[in-house]
Amino acid sequence: MRELPPDEALHTVLDRALTGYEALIDLAHTIDDEWQYVTDLAAVWRGRLTAVAASRTRDAAERPVQVAAERAIEEIGLITDPHRAIDWLSTFPQLILLAIGEEDRPPPRPSAG
Amino acid sequence: MRFQDAARDGRAIVYARVQADPLVTRAAALLVDATLGERLLARAVMNGESTDPDAWRAMFPTLFGPETTQPTRDRAEAVLAVSLAVADRGDEVRSQFRGAIVEELTQRLLERRVGADAVRRERRILFDGMTSEIHPYDVTVERDPGAEAWDCKWGARGIAADVLHQLDDARRRAADEGARLRVGLVVFDARRSAVVRLARQTAPSRETRIVSLETLDQLGGSANTGRTG
Repeated sequence: MRELPPDEALHTVLDRALTGYEALIDLAHTIDDEWQYVTDLAAVWRGRLTAVAASRTRDAAERPVQVAAERAIEEIGLITDPHRAIDWLSTFPQLILLAIGEEDRPPPRPSAG
Repeated sequence: MRFQDAARDGRAIVYARVQADPLVTRAAALLVDATLGERLLARAVMNGESTDPDAWRAMFPTLFGPETTQPTRDRAEAVLAVSLAVADRGDEVRSQFRGAIVEELTQRLLERRVGADAVRRERRILFDGMTSEIHPYDVTVERDPGAEAWDCKWGARGIAADVLHQLDDARRRAADEGARLRVGLVVFDARRSAVVRLARQTAPSRETRIVSLETLDQLGGSANTGRTG
């Protein structure tokens, strides 16, 4: 793992996670049949991580959180199978949110159907 | 409405061996009492690339960090070990194991609520005058009143029109016979992702209950386990 800067802000760590997430989205998008799902899923989770970053601009990232995010970014960087990338579009943000102690409040189900 | 064992074709015989594997039983036994964090650890590792346990410990500081208690660490270590054993089976086989683990977990949780005698696996549901569905339901609760049919999915991506139609058709046919059949999908994935998947489905799903990683304990009749992390 690369050297991590001391006294890093939490939103900086989350920005780095979002950059890693974009590469995962690109890989997942190579499955043509799931293009719409990948687009929808990425938009929702990207929005969630972005909102958390915006709401915690004053927070510092503790060392275990820094390491957790860096390891998770490395993990998704290892993925070459786009089907696995789709699974991680959901798992990666959940993992990051858990590491920073952010409770996820899932949205209600759509009313149609 | 009545329940029947599914036909034992070649696929079912092969899959039955996976279902009976001690690794599946061990994983389900741990996950049935797991916290959301432990379940997320299992999902990540079983779906992961890394085989180095230290990498996973670092990714989950709330489970393995210096501020966690020894019992928390012990439980997380057990979940990590069993999940790495599943991941070690190779891509194709691990996918079968993951599916079997979600089914076994669903069965165990349902048994907490309705008792072991009422819960069955791989069963078809027959209705008077109707051709039966080819595909069996993963887990059923067979009691009157209070019958249930559940399909299990490793990820939200598994939510598809055919599954939603099959579940809703069964529910409607039961209602036509004056019976109540509760139907649902157990998705070992984030609720947020399941909601995204459902949003573009045109198949009927209003009466189909969705149980996600965050709400698994509701299958067993509780709002949550009371444990966090």
